[in-house]
Amino acid sequence: MTAVVGRAVVGTPTSRLDGREKVSGEARYAADWPFENPLYGVLVQSSIPSGRIDSFDLAAAESAPGVARIFTHLNAPRLVPMDSPPLGQTFLPLQSDRIDYEGQHVALVIAETLEQAQHAARLVRVVYERGPARIDFRAHLTDEIEVQGFFPADTSTGDVSAGLGGADVKIDVTYRTADRHHVPIEPSATLADWRDGKLTLYDAAQWVHGVRIAVAHVLGIPLDDVRVISKFVGGGFGCKGFVWPHQILAAMASRELGRPVKLVLSRAHTFTAHGYQTASEQRVVLGATRDGRFVAIRHHSWTPTAISDDYLETCATPARASYASGAIETRNRAVRVNRGVPTPMRAPHEGVGAVAFECALDELAYALGVDPLEMRLRNYAERDPTTGTPFSQKNLRECYRIGAERFGWARRSPVPGTMRDGDTLIGYGMAGAVMFTVRMPSTARITLHPGGDVVIETATQDIGGGQYTILPMIAADALGVPVERVRIVLGDTALPDAGGTFGSSSTMSAGSAVFTAAQELKRLLGGRRSVSQPLTAEGKFQPEHSDALSMFTFGAVFAEVHVDRDLPTPRVARITGVYSAGRIINPKTARSQIIGGMTWGIGQALLEASELDLGLGRYLSKNLAGYVVPACADVRELDVTFIEEVDEHASLLGAKGIGELGAVGVAAAIGNAIYHATGTRVRDFPIRPERLL
Amino acid sequence: MIPSAFDYARPENLQDAFALLAEHGDEAKLIAGGHSLLPMMKLRLATPSILIDISRIDGLAGIDATRDGLKLGALVTHAALAASEQVRKLAPALADAAAQIGDTQVRNRGTLGGACAHGDPAADYPAVLLALGARLRIAKKGGETVKEADDFFRGMFETALEGDAILTEIALGPAPHSAYVKFPHPASHYAVVGVAAKLELQGAKIASARVAITGVGDSAFRAKSVEKALSGVDAGDAAAIRSACIDAAAGIEARSDVFASGSYRAAMAAVYAARAVTAAAIR
Repeated sequence: MTAVVGRAVVGTPTSRLDGREKVSGEARYAADWPFENPLYGVLVQSSIPSGRIDSFDLAAAESAPGVARIFTHLNAPRLVPMDSPPLGQTFLPLQSDRIDYEGQHVALVIAETLEQAQHAARLVRVVYERGPARIDFRAHLTDEIEVQGFFPADTSTGDVSAGLGGADVKIDVTYRTADRHHVPIEPSATLADWRDGKLTLYDAAQWVHGVRIAVAHVLGIPLDDVRVISKFVGGGFGCKGFVWPHQILAAMASRELGRPVKLVLSRAHTFTAHGYQTASEQRVVLGATRDGRFVAIRHHSWTPTAISDDYLETCATPARASYASGAIETRNRAVRVNRGVPTPMRAPHEGVGAVAFECALDELAYALGVDPLEMRLRNYAERDPTTGTPFSQKNLRECYRIGAERFGWARRSPVPGTMRDGDTLIGYGMAGAVMFTVRMPSTARITLHPGGDVVIETATQDIGGGQYTILPMIAADALGVPVERVRIVLGDTALPDAGGTFGSSSTMSAGSAVFTAAQELKRLLGGRRSVSQPLTAEGKFQPEHSDALSMFTFGAVFAEVHVDRDLPTPRVARITGVYSAGRIINPKTARSQIIGGMTWGIGQALLEASELDLGLGRYLSKNLAGYVVPACADVRELDVTFIEEVDEHASLLGAKGIGELGAVGVAAAIGNAIYHATGTRVRDFPIRPERLL
Repeated sequence: MIPSAFDYARPENLQDAFALLAEHGDEAKLIAGGHSLLPMMKLRLATPSILIDISRIDGLAGIDATRDGLKLGALVTHAALAASEQVRKLAPALADAAAQIGDTQVRNRGTLGGACAHGDPAADYPAVLLALGARLRIAKKGGETVKEADDFFRGMFETALEGDAILTEIALGPAPHSAYVKFPHPASHYAVVGVAAKLELQGAKIASARVAITGVGDSAFRAKSVEKALSGVDAGDAAAIRSACIDAAAGIEARSDVFASGSYRAAMAAVYAARAVTAAAIR
């Protein structure tokens, strides 16, 4: 082992160690794994949103060339029920004639080639008996239900009604966000290999252990007989976080047929094969004194959920932690509709809620004639306003100050519609960002080999966040070796368990386990610099929840938007974001995470909506032509700064999570900038040009 | 993405093409560049049992400047129109449109006649042909007829062309003060809104105008109230032109899709009409 003197690895911008593999095509994604003699699966999805399957006519499909089997609810094995999570939906596939949503899998065609399976899938005829369908949740808000989500549905501190009664100025506004889909460039894919009573899944997964647990359980096979491998993931954003029916079906088909099965979803199939981010209806009521101090905050949210499953997008969460107020009431309800089960998507909960909450706050600032940034400073929360506890760390005031300076907020003219450049209306807007900190129990193993190579093993995933680089940096730093000597093996349930790569948790969770293992290895080495036999140490991170501290990440986001006077297309000219998010391990991949998040925010603000036919319950465009995401031309100057800090409460590294934070507050800042540019307040996102006519 | 099976014939001349059309009737489709037909066949929205390829028939690919303007063979490609000095001089609106269709590959293969015969509601040429008062020559077994553009474009994918007829030539009068501008769909480059304008100028004033709009309605249409309002307007007065164009889509049921709502298309029709008129005025 070579001692490295005077070189700290952590904190040094480091290029991705897996970059070469990725750009050269060597990186192996799920569908890339070579299989001998595989069968191919193609799904058939329901064309009705509600009812039952009366019958199938499979004669043509079954006699088509190459067809090995067509699974339907009539011949598929029974599956063992299970909770969500790890399942994305508890409504298991091919178990009954019941249809709950359009795009529900009703058959799985297995054939010798992909083309044969696709052809036969087209020949499957399904006779349905239609049932009554409820598609539009907005039309049924009075049928709201209380469901249990990841966070409490309701919180209440102080007396909001009394606060509003005594307020000098009040804002009562309703905002809407749209249904959105994750659309990672790699559609979900599962390759199942049942061999000698053991199952190996090559999967596009954000949580290999979750897939293992779920598939073993529902198929009724011992956990030890299932191995899940996911080495590279071409974007997940939440849709590969939990376990969806296609993963189960691929495993089931391989077991039934005794051959490997490749099930790669088409783009169109992904729209209902996994969850989506719900649209939302959000009512925000704010009361303040004349000098711009909150006396009451009320945030109520409604989102759709499925017939079979309870999912709650808790949009009314930012108000719980963002600003000081004597009275805060938040409430989240769901409405059942005949659609698939929603799931978290970058950025869930606060990410959807911030759109309404941070825009409503902007409205209040204009109503009071107070600068929106000043408004936020006047209501700065030194403690968690809901629990009254201190934050583990919060440097948001610094974020505001540095952000305003870098952005040039002082150049803003206070009156909307007064900044112009020829036919271009210019607007400045800002918003705050807050995101709950999620940590996962994690384990890792580190081995020092003779010759000095270090190998990390942990069953976390790198879905683009940079863990292939970040975790070796942590080990290199702890052991005092160059990062080039450290190799990591991840994405495999044969490795020590680590949590799912969601909730912005992987770097601090798996990273802390790696750090602990490295410390242990150092202890075992006892001052030696090399070994003659491989030496292995294990490490573990067990986050301990404490009611004494509130743990969040924070940010201040500033956006400049240009709106063409005639068209009137809004374009984001630049975004500045400054973040208080714990210690930054790799500034280079961290910046990538944030600019990725900002790009998601641009999509949320201006482009992304899964347009739904409210009669058929069907997405109008299950493709990337109709579901429009930002292209490079939509994304211009993005300026990212991290406050230098170490949150020792959050993790052993002092690091927190940034995978989602970058997507929070961006859409609100853009919406606020559009108002500033045009004087038109749009409360319906995405803000398409026609809403500015 | 694979079309159903079809036969293929490549007649040497119009008479042979008419014979094939007579023989196969509705089962046959004419093909020239194929840039609208083939995608439809791949999606199986069109399933002809035989394609009659007219692309090698002699004499249908000429660009001829005459005393009366331009005579354009139906097989002239978009690229050829865009590159033609004569077209740019005599009918700049047509060159504008040709240069903005699809991408280079499409422009190298797609033809003027094919695009017109297809009758796509978002195609560019129909607006130009309406604004420029084009005359379309249609050949049949028994002889030829000439249709005014105003009588040719009838609705969504619907033209005056009958099943046994072939569009052979498009004739235009000189239109030096003409322009075509469009709001292209970012993926397909079809016109979300496209407007062609042709002006007769008298000194600094617009003596008369023809304005036609595509992408908005079921087929391209003339904005006659705009044409009337433009008469007598100072060609350099941008505000007056904008105001004359304000009702560009009045009375039209504008189409909605996931990309643009009807109300947005209608609003953009006014914006792009003013831009087309302004561009035509300075030519």
